[in-house]
Amino acid sequence: MERRRRMDGEMTFTQAAETHLDDVYGYLAWFTGDRCAADDLTGETFERALRLWHRFDPQRGSARTWLCQVARTVALDHFRSEKRRVRREELASTSERVDEHFAEGLSAELESALRVLTAGEREVVALRVVLDLNAGATARILGITPTNCTTRLNRALKKLEEALHVAA
Amino acid sequence: MSQRDLTAQLRAARTTAPAEVRERVRAIAATDTTARAPRFTWRRALVVALPVAAAVAATIVFTRPSHQATAVRAATTVVGAGVAHGEQRAATGHVFSAHVGTAGIPGSLVSPPSRTRVQRYGASLALRVPTPDGVSTGVKRALRITTSLGGHATSVHASSRSRAAVADLVLKIPRAKVQRAIAELSQLGTISGEKVDVQDLQAGLDATGRTITRLQKQLGELRAQTQTPAVTRRIAALTAQVVGLQRARANTLRTAHFATVRVHLATPAVKAATHQTHRGPFHWLVRALVWLGVGTIYVLVLGLPVAFVGLLMAVIMRAVRRRREDALLSET
Repeated sequence: MERRRRMDGEMTFTQAAETHLDDVYGYLAWFTGDRCAADDLTGETFERALRLWHRFDPQRGSARTWLCQVARTVALDHFRSEKRRVRREELASTSERVDEHFAEGLSAELESALRVLTAGEREVVALRVVLDLNAGATARILGITPTNCTTRLNRALKKLEEALHVAA
Repeated sequence: MSQRDLTAQLRAARTTAPAEVRERVRAIAATDTTARAPRFTWRRALVVALPVAAAVAATIVFTRPSHQATAVRAATTVVGAGVAHGEQRAATGHVFSAHVGTAGIPGSLVSPPSRTRVQRYGASLALRVPTPDGVSTGVKRALRITTSLGGHATSVHASSRSRAAVADLVLKIPRAKVQRAIAELSQLGTISGEKVDVQDLQAGLDATGRTITRLQKQLGELRAQTQTPAVTRRIAALTAQVVGLQRARANTLRTAHFATVRVHLATPAVKAATHQTHRGPFHWLVRALVWLGVGTIYVLVLGLPVAFVGLLMAVIMRAVRRRREDALLSET
């Protein structure tokens, strides 16, 4: 951990972007459930991260955690604007992402079960399971306590399990 | 499917960014010309420097001798200078008083008592004597000077402790010879302070004299009248009043005949000890710390409620924001 922090401290923005691009993209894809949106939001995330790079302090967390925090802010802004847009146009946003895939290599049952989860639940699964972040780092990104984070993860996995049972 | 298999399958699924996204991010990263912020920033430096500067300024302000004290000292010197130039306010006014500090010129304040007017004359003389023996000798010589000029001592207090000694004398000296007495007493040591008080009593005595004359005239008129019991009583009352006024007048003249001269003799060690006790090198530092403490208490008393309200507002706003976020994410 300490070694990784030291490496992060010496890392340039270009290196951080290259190293953690897939993580950020994957997180946004899982969080939004929309790959097209994830494409745009990833670019937006790195633009914002570049502007804020001087604020990044490796002593307080890794570059991956910090980039995920930035990505979350960008994604929340996206959700808010989407909500306003949907209200205005009275369109259901879910109908637009029926054919979307969360990730390569997932079974069709699991893909459809993941659709049952809310964005908040998918987010915690993405961070804790897919990106394999520890409870502390995930809690920092979400702005909650590590205990609360673990509770959310358990609920999300249970819900996913139930959805798979129903599908079976 | 168990939860373990589920997580294993989720972990196995990889999400890779498409090539166009990767290109876009590389293009963004290529514009990075700034190095990551160094640990030293102006904002951080200001956060440290401002309180330090405030503390230093407060220390300087409070450890410096106050302007008020300087002003008083300056005014004293001006008064002394005015008197040294022969200001004769005693001749026209009722009360005249002046004193000088350590810079006093021996006998410069001693204006000669008036020969034509009755005055109450008082003088104080602070003298520095090098040794306790000098103090003892000074007391003896002061008493001898007083006696030789036809005066007397009303009180003498002398004390000595190891290498320090102090003596206080109150001398009554005929007013006509006070100038000579002060000149001779000044020779007993180095003058460290001098004060002269002159109060003109002539106007009061003249008024009393006029009252006595008027009453005596009234008495003459009453005595010429038929001596009824009422007239007799009136004569007795007026006579008593005249006698009382004459006694008071005589008493004033007797008192004014002698000038009161107070002499303070001290060794330097006593003064140095006093100085160190009250104005030591840490005196102003302690005062500064006391004032800083007082300021801190004020800041705490006034700032804590504000800080508490601010904290409460921040907590409430954070809770509201989190609730909105949760609602937004559960809808999506």
